Amino acid sequence: MTVAPYRVHKLIQDLMRDPVRAAAFAQDNEAAFDAWGLAEPERALLRDGSPGALHALGVHPNLQMKYARLRAKPPPAGAAPPQAGGPLAAYLDRLLEK
Amino acid sequence: MGKIVGGFATSHVLFPPNGVEAQAERVLDGMMDLRRRVQALDPDVIVLAGSDHLNNFSLAMQVTLAVGVADEFTTLGDSGAPAVTFRGHREFAQGFVRHASYDFDLVQAEELRPDHGMAIPRLIVDPHNQRRIVPLYINCNMPAPPSPGRCYRLGGALKAYVEAARPQGERVVVVGTGGLSHWLCLPEQGKVAAEFDEDFIARMIDGRSEELAEMSAAHIEEASGNGGLELTAWLFMAGAVPRARGEKLYYEPVPEWISGMGGVSLTPA
Repeated sequence: MTVAPYRVHKLIQDLMRDPVRAAAFAQDNEAAFDAWGLAEPERALLRDGSPGALHALGVHPNLQMKYARLRAKPPPAGAAPPQAGGPLAAYLDRLLEK
Repeated sequence: MGKIVGGFATSHVLFPPNGVEAQAERVLDGMMDLRRRVQALDPDVIVLAGSDHLNNFSLAMQVTLAVGVADEFTTLGDSGAPAVTFRGHREFAQGFVRHASYDFDLVQAEELRPDHGMAIPRLIVDPHNQRRIVPLYINCNMPAPPSPGRCYRLGGALKAYVEAARPQGERVVVVGTGGLSHWLCLPEQGKVAAEFDEDFIARMIDGRSEELAEMSAAHIEEASGNGGLELTAWLFMAGAVPRARGEKLYYEPVPEWISGMGGVSLTPA
Protein backbone atom coordinates (compact mmCIF):
# COMPACT_ATOMS: atom_id res chain seq x y z
CA MET A 1 0.00 0.00 0.00
CA THR A 2 1.25 3.51 -0.83
CA VAL A 3 2.28 5.65 2.13
CA ALA A 4 2.31 9.42 1.69
CA PRO A 5 5.61 11.24 2.22
CA TYR A 6 5.93 12.42 5.78
CA ARG A 7 5.71 16.07 4.71
CA VAL A 8 2.08 15.46 3.73
CA HIS A 9 1.27 13.96 7.10
CA LYS A 10 3.20 16.73 8.82
CA LEU A 11 1.09 19.36 7.05
CA ILE A 12 -2.12 17.80 8.34
CA GLN A 13 -0.82 17.13 11.84
CA ASP A 14 0.65 20.62 12.20
CA LEU A 15 -2.57 22.27 11.07
CA MET A 16 -4.65 20.12 13.43
CA ARG A 17 -2.72 21.56 16.33
CA ASP A 18 -2.65 25.20 15.21
CA PRO A 19 -6.08 26.84 14.83
CA VAL A 20 -4.62 30.04 13.40
CA ARG A 21 -2.77 28.30 10.60
CA ALA A 22 -5.73 25.98 10.08
CA ALA A 23 -7.99 28.97 9.51
CA ALA A 24 -5.50 30.41 7.03
CA PHE A 25 -5.31 27.06 5.26
CA ALA A 26 -9.08 26.92 4.83
CA GLN A 27 -8.85 30.19 2.89
CA ASP A 28 -5.66 29.50 0.93
CA ASN A 29 -4.52 25.90 0.50
CA GLU A 30 -1.72 26.80 -1.90
CA ALA A 31 0.21 28.95 0.57
CA ALA A 32 0.30 26.02 2.98
CA PHE A 33 1.39 23.64 0.24
CA ASP A 34 4.29 26.03 -0.43
CA ALA A 35 5.15 26.37 3.25
CA TRP A 36 5.28 22.61 3.80
CA GLY A 37 7.24 22.05 0.59
CA LEU A 38 4.83 19.71 -1.15
CA ALA A 39 5.56 18.46 -4.64
CA GLU A 40 3.10 19.10 -7.46
CA PRO A 41 1.74 15.51 -7.65
CA GLU A 42 1.01 15.67 -3.92
CA ARG A 43 -0.66 19.05 -4.28
CA ALA A 44 -2.85 17.81 -7.11
CA LEU A 45 -4.19 14.93 -5.04
CA LEU A 46 -4.70 17.14 -2.01
CA ARG A 47 -6.52 19.73 -4.15
CA ASP A 48 -8.80 16.95 -5.36
CA GLY A 49 -9.34 15.89 -1.75
CA SER A 50 -11.66 13.00 -2.62
CA PRO A 51 -11.34 9.71 -0.71
CA GLY A 52 -9.88 8.12 -3.84
CA ALA A 53 -7.27 10.83 -4.25
CA LEU A 54 -6.24 10.75 -0.60
CA HIS A 55 -6.01 6.97 -0.72
CA ALA A 56 -3.92 7.16 -3.88
CA LEU A 57 -1.56 9.58 -2.15
CA GLY A 58 -1.36 7.22 0.82
CA VAL A 59 -2.67 9.58 3.48
CA HIS A 60 -3.16 7.78 6.79
CA PRO A 61 -6.88 6.92 7.17
CA ASN A 62 -7.26 8.84 10.44
CA LEU A 63 -5.60 11.88 8.87
CA GLN A 64 -7.81 11.70 5.77
CA MET A 65 -10.78 12.57 7.97
CA LYS A 66 -8.92 15.40 9.63
CA TYR A 67 -7.82 16.77 6.26
CA ALA A 68 -11.43 16.85 5.09
CA ARG A 69 -12.36 18.90 8.17
CA LEU A 70 -9.43 21.27 7.59
CA ARG A 71 -10.65 21.92 4.03
CA ALA A 72 -14.26 22.50 5.03
CA LYS A 73 -15.44 26.07 4.69
CA PRO A 74 -17.12 27.56 7.75
CA PRO A 75 -20.93 27.44 7.62
CA PRO A 76 -22.57 30.59 6.23
CA ALA A 77 -23.81 33.20 8.66
CA GLY A 78 -27.26 32.31 9.94
CA ALA A 79 -26.88 28.58 9.27
CA ALA A 80 -28.50 26.28 11.82
CA PRO A 81 -26.07 25.15 14.52
CA PRO A 82 -25.04 21.50 14.43
CA GLN A 83 -27.30 19.15 16.37
CA ALA A 84 -26.22 18.62 19.97
CA GLY A 85 -24.76 15.18 20.48
CA GLY A 86 -23.81 14.81 16.82
CA PRO A 87 -23.90 11.14 15.87
CA LEU A 88 -24.88 10.19 19.42
CA ALA A 89 -27.93 12.48 19.51
CA ALA A 90 -30.47 9.65 19.25
CA TYR A 91 -28.92 7.82 22.19
CA LEU A 92 -27.49 10.48 24.45
CA ASP A 93 -30.35 10.75 26.95
CA ARG A 94 -30.29 7.02 27.53
CA LEU A 95 -26.50 6.89 27.71
CA LEU A 96 -26.57 9.68 30.27
CA GLU A 97 -29.57 8.11 32.08
CA LYS A 98 -31.45 11.41 31.94
CA MET B 1 -3.88 -8.92 46.48
CA GLY B 2 -6.34 -7.30 44.14
CA LYS B 3 -8.50 -9.16 41.70
CA ILE B 4 -9.66 -8.74 38.13
CA VAL B 5 -13.36 -9.33 38.58
CA GLY B 6 -14.55 -8.91 35.02
CA GLY B 7 -13.49 -8.56 31.41
CA PHE B 8 -15.57 -6.87 28.76
CA ALA B 9 -15.19 -5.63 25.20
CA THR B 10 -17.30 -3.40 23.03
CA SER B 11 -17.30 -1.42 19.82
CA HIS B 12 -16.59 2.24 20.48
CA VAL B 13 -18.81 4.16 18.07
CA LEU B 14 -22.48 4.83 17.52
CA PHE B 15 -24.01 6.50 14.50
CA PRO B 16 -27.50 7.84 13.73
CA PRO B 17 -30.10 5.09 13.56
CA ASN B 18 -31.59 6.30 10.27
CA GLY B 19 -32.41 3.25 8.15
CA VAL B 20 -31.02 0.74 10.65
CA GLU B 21 -33.32 1.45 13.58
CA ALA B 22 -33.73 -2.14 14.78
CA GLN B 23 -30.01 -2.87 14.64
CA ALA B 24 -29.19 0.39 16.36
CA GLU B 25 -31.52 -0.49 19.22
CA ARG B 26 -29.97 -3.93 19.60
CA VAL B 27 -26.49 -2.40 19.68
CA LEU B 28 -27.56 0.12 22.32
CA ASP B 29 -29.27 -2.64 24.32
CA GLY B 30 -26.03 -4.62 24.25
CA MET B 31 -24.02 -1.63 25.43
CA MET B 32 -26.51 -1.01 28.25
CA ASP B 33 -26.31 -4.68 29.24
CA LEU B 34 -22.54 -4.28 29.44
CA ARG B 35 -23.06 -1.20 31.62
CA ARG B 36 -25.29 -3.08 34.06
CA ARG B 37 -22.78 -5.91 34.35
CA VAL B 38 -19.88 -3.56 35.04
CA GLN B 39 -21.89 -1.64 37.62
CA ALA B 40 -22.92 -4.89 39.34
CA LEU B 41 -19.25 -5.72 39.82
CA ASP B 42 -18.70 -2.38 41.61
CA PRO B 43 -15.07 -1.98 40.46
CA ASP B 44 -12.58 0.24 42.26
CA VAL B 45 -10.63 0.70 39.02
CA ILE B 46 -11.55 0.28 35.37
CA VAL B 47 -8.74 -0.22 32.88
CA LEU B 48 -10.04 1.00 29.54
CA ALA B 49 -7.96 -0.24 26.61
CA GLY B 50 -8.24 1.08 23.08
CA SER B 51 -6.71 3.16 20.36
CA ASP B 52 -6.23 6.87 19.85
CA HIS B 53 -7.24 8.15 16.42
CA LEU B 54 -4.17 10.38 15.96
CA ASN B 55 -5.68 13.04 18.17
CA ASN B 56 -3.15 12.68 20.99
CA PHE B 57 -0.41 10.55 19.50
CA SER B 58 0.89 11.28 16.03
CA LEU B 59 3.09 10.05 13.24
CA ALA B 60 5.78 12.41 14.53
CA MET B 61 6.34 10.05 17.49
CA GLN B 62 4.73 6.72 16.81
CA VAL B 63 3.82 5.47 20.27
CA THR B 64 2.14 2.08 20.25
CA LEU B 65 1.61 1.15 23.91
CA ALA B 66 0.96 3.86 26.49
CA VAL B 67 -0.74 4.28 29.85
CA GLY B 68 -2.53 7.42 30.96
CA VAL B 69 -1.03 8.19 34.35
CA ALA B 70 -2.60 11.58 35.11
CA ASP B 71 -4.90 12.27 38.04
CA GLU B 72 -7.68 13.29 35.69
CA PHE B 73 -8.47 13.47 32.01
CA THR B 74 -10.88 15.56 29.98
CA THR B 75 -12.29 13.83 26.94
CA LEU B 76 -11.90 15.48 23.53
CA GLY B 77 -15.60 15.88 22.82
CA ASP B 78 -15.50 14.31 19.35
CA SER B 79 -18.02 12.00 17.67
CA GLY B 80 -20.86 13.28 19.84
CA ALA B 81 -19.39 12.19 23.16
CA PRO B 82 -19.63 15.13 25.58
CA ALA B 83 -16.35 16.55 26.89
CA VAL B 84 -16.18 15.21 30.43
CA THR B 85 -13.49 15.28 33.09
CA PHE B 86 -13.00 11.93 34.80
CA ARG B 87 -10.64 10.67 37.46
CA GLY B 88 -7.61 8.61 36.55
CA HIS B 89 -5.55 6.58 39.02
CA ARG B 90 -1.93 7.71 39.05
CA GLU B 91 -0.69 5.24 41.64
CA PHE B 92 -2.31 2.27 39.90
CA ALA B 93 -1.15 3.37 36.45
CA GLN B 94 2.45 4.19 37.33
CA GLY B 95 2.69 1.04 39.41
CA PHE B 96 1.59 -1.00 36.42
CA VAL B 97 4.16 0.61 34.15
CA ARG B 98 6.93 -0.20 36.63
CA HIS B 99 5.64 -3.70 37.34
CA ALA B 100 5.37 -4.57 33.64
CA SER B 101 8.83 -3.22 32.86
CA TYR B 102 10.38 -6.68 32.97
CA ASP B 103 8.91 -7.21 29.49
CA PHE B 104 7.15 -4.02 28.34
CA ASP B 105 8.48 -0.50 27.87
CA LEU B 106 5.19 1.30 28.36
CA VAL B 107 5.01 5.01 27.68
CA GLN B 108 3.56 7.09 30.50
CA ALA B 109 1.18 9.77 29.20
CA GLU B 110 0.42 12.79 31.39
CA GLU B 111 -1.41 14.95 28.85
CA LEU B 112 -4.25 13.28 27.03
CA ARG B 113 -7.65 14.31 25.69
CA PRO B 114 -9.15 10.86 25.18
CA ASP B 115 -11.13 10.78 21.94
CA HIS B 116 -14.26 8.79 21.13
CA GLY B 117 -12.32 5.53 21.27
CA MET B 118 -12.17 5.95 25.04
CA ALA B 119 -14.92 8.51 25.62
CA ILE B 120 -17.85 6.49 24.30
CA PRO B 121 -16.89 3.31 26.21
CA ARG B 122 -16.34 5.47 29.30
CA LEU B 123 -19.84 6.81 28.89
CA ILE B 124 -21.12 3.24 28.60
CA VAL B 125 -19.37 1.86 31.69
CA ASP B 126 -19.54 4.90 33.97
CA PRO B 127 -22.40 7.23 33.01
CA HIS B 128 -22.35 9.13 36.30
CA ASN B 129 -18.60 9.58 36.39
CA GLN B 130 -18.07 7.75 39.66
CA ARG B 131 -15.23 5.39 38.82
CA ARG B 132 -11.49 5.79 38.57
CA ILE B 133 -10.41 4.90 35.06
CA VAL B 134 -6.95 4.13 33.69
CA PRO B 135 -6.76 4.61 29.90
CA LEU B 136 -4.40 2.13 28.28
CA TYR B 137 -3.54 2.86 24.67
CA ILE B 138 -3.02 0.12 22.13
CA ASN B 139 -2.39 2.23 19.07
CA CYS B 140 -3.06 -0.34 16.40
CA ASN B 141 -3.29 2.38 13.73
CA MET B 142 0.42 3.18 13.90
CA PRO B 143 2.42 2.06 10.86
CA ALA B 144 4.07 -0.66 12.97
CA PRO B 145 1.29 -1.84 15.29
CA PRO B 146 1.86 -4.06 18.32
CA SER B 147 1.24 -7.74 17.60
CA PRO B 148 -1.92 -9.45 18.85
CA GLY B 149 0.22 -11.84 20.88
CA ARG B 150 2.05 -9.00 22.57
CA CYS B 151 -1.22 -7.29 23.45
CA TYR B 152 -2.54 -10.54 24.92
CA ARG B 153 0.62 -10.93 27.00
CA LEU B 154 0.32 -7.34 28.18
CA GLY B 155 -3.08 -8.30 29.56
CA GLY B 156 -1.32 -11.09 31.43
CA ALA B 157 1.12 -8.55 32.84
CA LEU B 158 -1.82 -6.51 34.13
CA LYS B 159 -3.27 -9.58 35.85
CA ALA B 160 0.10 -10.33 37.44
CA TYR B 161 0.36 -6.74 38.65
CA VAL B 162 -3.11 -6.67 40.15
CA GLU B 163 -2.58 -9.97 41.93
CA ALA B 164 0.95 -9.25 43.16
CA ALA B 165 1.03 -5.58 43.94
CA ARG B 166 -2.43 -4.17 44.48
CA PRO B 167 -4.16 -3.82 47.84
CA GLN B 168 -6.16 -6.67 49.27
CA GLY B 169 -9.70 -6.59 47.98
CA GLU B 170 -9.18 -4.10 45.16
CA ARG B 171 -11.60 -4.89 42.35
CA VAL B 172 -10.49 -4.26 38.78
CA VAL B 173 -12.53 -4.45 35.59
CA VAL B 174 -10.84 -4.48 32.18
CA VAL B 175 -12.64 -3.23 29.08
CA GLY B 176 -11.26 -3.59 25.55
CA THR B 177 -12.72 -1.19 23.03
CA GLY B 178 -13.03 -0.90 19.26
CA GLY B 179 -13.71 -3.21 16.34
CA LEU B 180 -15.03 -5.29 15.00
CA SER B 181 -14.34 -5.50 11.26
CA HIS B 182 -14.21 -2.24 9.36
CA TRP B 183 -12.20 -0.71 6.56
CA LEU B 184 -11.70 2.96 7.36
CA CYS B 185 -10.98 5.33 4.45
CA LEU B 186 -10.08 2.46 2.16
CA PRO B 187 -11.75 1.40 -1.08
CA GLU B 188 -13.41 -1.46 0.84
CA GLN B 189 -15.09 0.95 3.28
CA GLY B 190 -18.60 -0.31 4.02
CA LYS B 191 -17.62 -3.96 3.86
CA VAL B 192 -18.25 -5.97 7.05
CA ALA B 193 -16.62 -9.36 7.64
CA ALA B 194 -19.47 -10.83 9.66
CA GLU B 195 -18.17 -14.39 9.49
CA PHE B 196 -14.76 -13.34 10.84
CA ASP B 197 -16.39 -11.24 13.55
CA GLU B 198 -18.76 -13.99 14.67
CA ASP B 199 -15.95 -16.53 14.75
CA PHE B 200 -13.74 -14.17 16.75
CA ILE B 201 -16.50 -13.61 19.31
CA ALA B 202 -17.37 -17.31 19.48
CA ARG B 203 -13.80 -18.34 20.17
CA MET B 204 -13.29 -15.58 22.71
CA ILE B 205 -16.35 -16.48 24.78
CA ASP B 206 -15.36 -20.15 24.52
CA GLY B 207 -12.14 -19.43 26.41
CA ARG B 208 -9.93 -19.69 23.31
CA SER B 209 -8.52 -16.18 23.18
CA GLU B 210 -4.94 -17.43 23.36
CA GLU B 211 -5.59 -19.09 20.02
CA LEU B 212 -6.90 -15.80 18.61
CA ALA B 213 -3.76 -14.06 19.85
CA GLU B 214 -1.67 -16.30 17.61
CA MET B 215 -3.01 -14.47 14.55
CA SER B 216 -0.64 -11.91 13.09
CA ALA B 217 -1.60 -8.27 12.82
CA ALA B 218 -1.34 -8.63 9.04
CA HIS B 219 -3.84 -11.49 9.07
CA ILE B 220 -6.35 -9.60 11.22
CA GLU B 221 -6.00 -6.55 8.98
CA GLU B 222 -6.47 -8.63 5.84
CA ALA B 223 -9.51 -10.41 7.24
CA SER B 224 -11.21 -7.59 9.09
CA GLY B 225 -9.78 -4.32 7.79
CA ASN B 226 -7.52 -1.69 9.27
CA GLY B 227 -10.20 -0.98 11.87
CA GLY B 228 -10.39 -4.66 12.73
CA LEU B 229 -6.95 -4.31 14.26
CA GLU B 230 -8.70 -2.64 17.18
CA LEU B 231 -9.46 -6.20 18.25
CA THR B 232 -5.97 -6.18 19.74
CA ALA B 233 -7.57 -4.25 22.62
CA TRP B 234 -10.05 -7.10 23.05
CA LEU B 235 -7.09 -9.48 23.19
CA PHE B 236 -5.43 -7.34 25.85
CA MET B 237 -8.58 -7.67 27.93
CA ALA B 238 -8.73 -11.42 27.30
CA GLY B 239 -5.10 -11.78 28.35
CA ALA B 240 -6.02 -10.26 31.70
CA VAL B 241 -8.61 -13.02 32.26
CA PRO B 242 -6.91 -16.06 30.67
CA ARG B 243 -9.10 -18.95 29.61
CA ALA B 244 -12.20 -17.06 30.78
CA ARG B 245 -15.44 -18.01 29.12
CA GLY B 246 -18.30 -15.63 28.68
CA GLU B 247 -21.21 -14.37 26.70
CA LYS B 248 -21.85 -12.46 23.54
CA LEU B 249 -23.71 -9.33 24.55
CA TYR B 250 -24.46 -8.18 21.02
CA TYR B 251 -23.33 -8.46 17.44
CA GLU B 252 -24.71 -6.65 14.43
CA PRO B 253 -23.07 -6.26 11.04
CA VAL B 254 -23.97 -2.70 10.05
CA PRO B 255 -22.57 -1.71 6.64
CA GLU B 256 -24.35 1.64 6.97
CA TRP B 257 -22.07 2.32 9.95
CA ILE B 258 -19.14 0.74 8.07
CA SER B 259 -18.62 -1.66 11.02
CA GLY B 260 -19.29 -4.94 12.62
CA MET B 261 -20.63 -3.88 16.01
CA GLY B 262 -20.23 -6.19 18.97
CA GLY B 263 -19.58 -6.72 22.63
CA VAL B 264 -18.70 -9.56 25.00
CA SER B 265 -18.49 -10.27 28.70
CA LEU B 266 -15.89 -12.69 30.10
CA THR B 267 -16.01 -14.12 33.60
CA PRO B 268 -12.55 -14.72 35.09
CA ALA B 269 -11.80 -18.42 35.55
